[in-house]
Amino acid sequence: MASYSTNEFRSGLKLMVDGDPCSIVDNEVVKPGKGQAFNRVKIRNLKTGRVVERTYKSGESVEAADVMDTDLQYLYNDGEQWHFMHPETFEQMAADKTAVGDANLWLKEQDMCTVTLWNGNPLAVTPPNFVVLTVTDTDPGLKGDTSGGGGKPATLETGAVVQVPLFIAIGEELKIDTRTGKYVSRAKG
Amino acid sequence: MTQWQASASFELIRLRADTLRTIRSFFYKNNVLEVDTPTLSSATVPDPFIESFQTQYVPLMQTMQTNHFYLHTSPEFPMKRLLASGSGSIFQISKVFRQGESGKKHNPEFTLLEWYRDGWDHLQLMTEVDQLLTLLLSPHLDLGETRLLTYEDAFQEMLGINPHTANKKDLLDCTEKTGLANVLDEHEDKDRFLELLFSHIIEPALGKSNKCEQSNKPYICFIYHYPASQASLAKTSMHKGQLVAERFEVFIDGMELGNGFHELNDAQEQRQRFEKDNQTRKIMGLKEIPMDEYFLEAVGALPECAGVAVGIERLLMVMSQSQHINDVIAFPFDRA
Repeated sequence: MASYSTNEFRSGLKLMVDGDPCSIVDNEVVKPGKGQAFNRVKIRNLKTGRVVERTYKSGESVEAADVMDTDLQYLYNDGEQWHFMHPETFEQMAADKTAVGDANLWLKEQDMCTVTLWNGNPLAVTPPNFVVLTVTDTDPGLKGDTSGGGGKPATLETGAVVQVPLFIAIGEELKIDTRTGKYVSRAKG
Repeated sequence: MTQWQASASFELIRLRADTLRTIRSFFYKNNVLEVDTPTLSSATVPDPFIESFQTQYVPLMQTMQTNHFYLHTSPEFPMKRLLASGSGSIFQISKVFRQGESGKKHNPEFTLLEWYRDGWDHLQLMTEVDQLLTLLLSPHLDLGETRLLTYEDAFQEMLGINPHTANKKDLLDCTEKTGLANVLDEHEDKDRFLELLFSHIIEPALGKSNKCEQSNKPYICFIYHYPASQASLAKTSMHKGQLVAERFEVFIDGMELGNGFHELNDAQEQRQRFEKDNQTRKIMGLKEIPMDEYFLEAVGALPECAGVAVGIERLLMVMSQSQHINDVIAFPFDRA
């Protein structure tokens, strides 16, 4: 079984902690002038997203987590699972609700997503930073209002609801920042 | 920024220069002699938690016969040999080297200010450390009143246990309560548990401003009278019915700045402690260290004295409120 010694610890390293795959966020060496050295690390649980602190005796080995990021194309949702495909090998993979989480608000068929795999199975799905989605419902657009001063909610094709300027109408394509869930602009072209 | 450039700003490079000048004038004024002892040494410390860099001396035109040398981890041994020869009070500012010590507060090569006071004990030396640190820090920090706490008081105050009398079960319970369960195996030495609790729970709070308690400003904090088992090179004595080490450490803003001893001058006792260190090294699977016979002979002739070592980079970090040691070193390890 692969493992890492504390002297290999660095941000981004993937470890198994209490049976869950985790990623190191911060690593600090605690070494008194006299006495035992420790590594105090902040780790993000990749299943829950929670960040916790852990201490290891320096020199100790910790089991590595078989975690890797792959770029896959989102195909479709069958009602229970979200299906992805590798663009070159055409290998398909299905992710469940736990892995997809809030990403389902931004998943559009054909878009490339980052799928984090743990032991070969989808653990988390990260949508592209920006997606283009069509407005399926919103109050009628106000002609001539280009100031963008006010705002109104708009429902997008994925079901996500975002605040948009008053001039946006049904059927328009919008650019959304998935990290903040905010409207950026009308899609060009 | 590119790697060939300095990682410290010129403001901090200048602060280092000013700090070294202030330190030197402080000691000139107090009639403490500046000395210079070797960086390369035929022997080194056997402390199981300090690893020395090693190198070879190769005579010219000859590669067969080489001599083994260590880079010093502190100038302590040769400085004590000077004291034993009658130097009187001395100080030194030198580069020292320690394997594996790399992180936000560690660079494997760092600058150490070390000084010894002939005829003093650790309590007298603590007063002088306080004077020097106040002189250096007060132009940069609004300092609260200096605090002196015994090791026992610190544990009682922050963890509610007596570190001298607590048994393994008390310590295990304490690590559990503080979120440090399972870091150490049950069978590990009691001192490892004390070090874990001290470095994770107590140290981060020492010398730190806290609104409701002792100080709303950062302050210099001394911890003294360590357990006798952590004496290192300090004398031991009875204090409130407990054998303690006449050793202190000084902290500010949650950062350890220095370590001092009322120096052990019993050669036999010193040899026994080194032998015990080597036994521990053996158990831990580390290489044993040859005894420094020059030093061990000098210890017997060492006058009553107290000594302390202060990390200059740590001091500069506190002065400049830097979060990483690389901010105060022109070319840290990864650019050296």
